[in-house]
Amino acid sequence: MIRSIAQKEFISTLRDRRFAVLSGLVLLLLLAATLVGRASFRTLQQERQLAQQTVNDKFRNQPARHPHRVAHYGSFAFRPKSGLSLLDGGVDSFTGSAVYLEAHQQNSINFSQAQQAGSLIRFGEMTVAFVLQLLVPLLIIFLCFGAFSEERATGTLKLLLSQGVTLRQVAWGKIRGYSQAVALVVAPALALAAALLFTGEEFAGGLDLVARLALFVAGYAVYFFVFVVGAVVVSAWQVSSRAALVTLLGLWILGGVILPKATANLGATLYPTITKAQMDAEVHDEAQHGIDGHDPHDQRAAALKADLFKKYGVDSEEKLPVSLAGVQMAAGEEYSAKVYQQHFAELNATYERQNRLSEWAGLLNPYQAIRPLSMSLAGSDFAHYVHFQQAAEAYRYGLVQRLNGLQASMGYGDKERRLDASTWQKLPVFSYQAPPLGWALPRLLLPVAALLLWAVGLCWLGLRLISNTSVS
Amino acid sequence: MTYLLEARELRKQYADKLALRGLNLQIAPGEIFCLLGQNGAGKSTTINLFLGFIQPTSGAAFVNGLEVAANPLEIKRHLAYIPENVLLYPHLSGLENLALFSSLAGFKYPESELPNYLTDAGLPAEAVRRRVGAYSKGMRQKVGIAIAVAKHAKVLLLDEPTSGLDPKASNEFSELLHRLSGQGTAVLMATHDIFRAKEVGTRVGIMREGELVDVRPTAALNAQELEQLYLTYIH
Repeated sequence: MIRSIAQKEFISTLRDRRFAVLSGLVLLLLLAATLVGRASFRTLQQERQLAQQTVNDKFRNQPARHPHRVAHYGSFAFRPKSGLSLLDGGVDSFTGSAVYLEAHQQNSINFSQAQQAGSLIRFGEMTVAFVLQLLVPLLIIFLCFGAFSEERATGTLKLLLSQGVTLRQVAWGKIRGYSQAVALVVAPALALAAALLFTGEEFAGGLDLVARLALFVAGYAVYFFVFVVGAVVVSAWQVSSRAALVTLLGLWILGGVILPKATANLGATLYPTITKAQMDAEVHDEAQHGIDGHDPHDQRAAALKADLFKKYGVDSEEKLPVSLAGVQMAAGEEYSAKVYQQHFAELNATYERQNRLSEWAGLLNPYQAIRPLSMSLAGSDFAHYVHFQQAAEAYRYGLVQRLNGLQASMGYGDKERRLDASTWQKLPVFSYQAPPLGWALPRLLLPVAALLLWAVGLCWLGLRLISNTSVS
Repeated sequence: MTYLLEARELRKQYADKLALRGLNLQIAPGEIFCLLGQNGAGKSTTINLFLGFIQPTSGAAFVNGLEVAANPLEIKRHLAYIPENVLLYPHLSGLENLALFSSLAGFKYPESELPNYLTDAGLPAEAVRRRVGAYSKGMRQKVGIAIAVAKHAKVLLLDEPTSGLDPKASNEFSELLHRLSGQGTAVLMATHDIFRAKEVGTRVGIMREGELVDVRPTAALNAQELEQLYLTYIH
């Protein structure tokens, strides 16, 4: 019975000119967003690869220099785009893509697309995720708002039920039929995206990418299912098709616009972040005067000098087998890195708390459940950004300390000397490896649980409601 | 005697209105019972109670000896329903609509057999595969009849089935009802059409404000007498 009703809904939907026009538009948007996303991905990826190669070459090809000069010359780390970011750019457009790596300080990541784009970017980008998260639900609403109310108004519901079908069977048949119609619209775009992902030579994600894409598709399948069930339930609950449409559109605006904005504002109010200028001032102050005002820089330097004299049994800097400046640089770097790490950790924890609030809101709003899930699987969420940030800092710290070590090994009077150009060839260059899916999985638990709760809860509660709905 | 349709002290109270006041009714196999009455008299409520779409406040309705409230799905195997305006699914053809409703009722007919039900109900052969959206009301009503016939139901519940049909279509419909009653089908037809009721019915009942105020065999009255009787109760 369910199958027969599903087939009827599917065929009727396909033959409905309104659906053909709307779904054609959505499909075109999806295909366009996929192709534009891929073109943008390729351009950015090539630019970043070229830039990384260029700065790496320049770094390794420096002339004979003092190691501390090399540490200040620094390098850049460019964040490579993840394969699935062509489907969901996440926060990539707003976070930076490159970080300047130099001695003494941990710089923030700069050069985001949002900084270089016009104000229109604030209205959102036409990405596959945007179409899937907001426009496909709108299509589902227009597809399903009359599911029950129209049948009730025309009397066909009575005719159906008089054949010995239950209201639940009618509802499941409709849900199945509409789901097939939605799949018909979404599947070609996702198939195209998969083909682009797995055939493009620049995409080398292997099984990890396959697993991420599979979960991405599964996540959206549940998301659309929630909307189909929700729309069918509202259609049964409301007395007329018009009332059902108005209710569904109201819920769409609430879930897609008002709640996310309200949650973000609430998060920013509950967990405020400090400005960059404030943070720079605090970091500088703590590096100079010590964390919490204790252990100031000059006292630390004097203590280190005394320790070195004692260690080597000397009474002057000239007699030391190592460069005092080099050792002090290494100690200073260790201290300032600790200060920076502490501040960045606090800042990231604040952002995490803000994001977490939004993720919990997924229990109230499926849109806020699919967004973090989609971004995380695409490798374009805040956590993946922080992973890159930490990888870049680990590289910077290691490089600078290696250069400080080289300086220390030069002994007294190192400032008057230089190290051979071949020294820089032996230094490692920055190469970033994005985290695997397993790393991201714990972060997916809440949004996945929220989506599943929505699906199960709506089916359970909604179908109970439908069973008691009026036939005429 | 086993009645195919029976109402015992059937009562339906809505929030602000008593729609049915203790209806007692028995319809035997092969009988065509026509319910006459104004809008709001309780005709459609009676049909909805037999269909199980609404629950009685008290009393009970029976289909083929089964209480409707206790056997809401089982009783539907025994009855077919034709509403006043059969709208069907406009994006499907008459044949597809018939196939759908038949399959839901548990009948899977060979594709060669299905069109016969439609043409037997009076639908022109060339319209069988056309979408119902382009059908006239009479054509849709014929698909509704074909759906009911294809179900091989023992009971036919008709809610103003001839409303808006042209005289030829109404006449064909009457012939069909005679044919079905001849095969033992019990028919309960709610109608405003006194003359159609006289023509097809074996008994007529007049309803007023939720009450069955008079029941007469149609053979005992001519059309004028029935009209006079009806007007007496209505005014």
